[in-house]
Amino acid sequence: MKLTGNIIALIVLSIAAVIYFIFNPAVASFFPNCPFYSLTGYYCPGCGSQRAIHQLLHGDIIAASGYNVLLVLSLPVLAYAAAANIYKMVNGNYGRWDLIYKPWFPKTVLVVVLSFWLLRNLPFYPFTILAPHT
Amino acid sequence: MDQLSQPGAPTPGVQPKNWLVESILVTIFCCLPFGIVGIIYASKVNSEWAAGRFAEAETASKEAGKWTKIGFFVGLGVLVLYLIFYFIMGVALFSGAARFNN
Repeated sequence: MKLTGNIIALIVLSIAAVIYFIFNPAVASFFPNCPFYSLTGYYCPGCGSQRAIHQLLHGDIIAASGYNVLLVLSLPVLAYAAAANIYKMVNGNYGRWDLIYKPWFPKTVLVVVLSFWLLRNLPFYPFTILAPHT
Repeated sequence: MDQLSQPGAPTPGVQPKNWLVESILVTIFCCLPFGIVGIIYASKVNSEWAAGRFAEAETASKEAGKWTKIGFFVGLGVLVLYLIFYFIMGVALFSGAARFNN
């Protein structure tokens, strides 16, 4: 049952990757806009993710960082978490791969996300670097 | 379930899932603050566990999972509604254009 779910998730992700590779959300109109931005006019921590993914799939990390640097910064964390899960599958526990479970780590993530949310909405340099831009 | 042992013992059982990675993904991809609530609870899972309050860590884990799932499904719901709306608009525009051409 869990395997079926994973296969479905993999298929959906693959289709999404193809769509985000072919179409550029900065140009194409059919991608959904951020509901938070649409309602408030302020960027959320996820604003620019779709455009960033398009750039990432084309290997352009600089352009992706321009749209959402938090997404780019989260990639090493996601890679680490994946590696830690593989370690746990093999060894039955996280061993020294337990960063995700250290008390300071989620706190740091929280501070980073909240700071990013606030700072990217400040309408002056250098914080405008954090707002989605080309 | 057999994770409760005396505080101070080295790594009693397995720490409950803290949903941190899932919360981060929801925050970045779903454009909704539910992911942030998930991150707060993820933090609580780790600190309660480290302090030896295993039952509290278990509760925080359940809360973290709950909010992460809420964020995920609300995001998914918004996406589906958007696609339906976009499709209907597309059909309406298309048929409107067709009528105009006739």
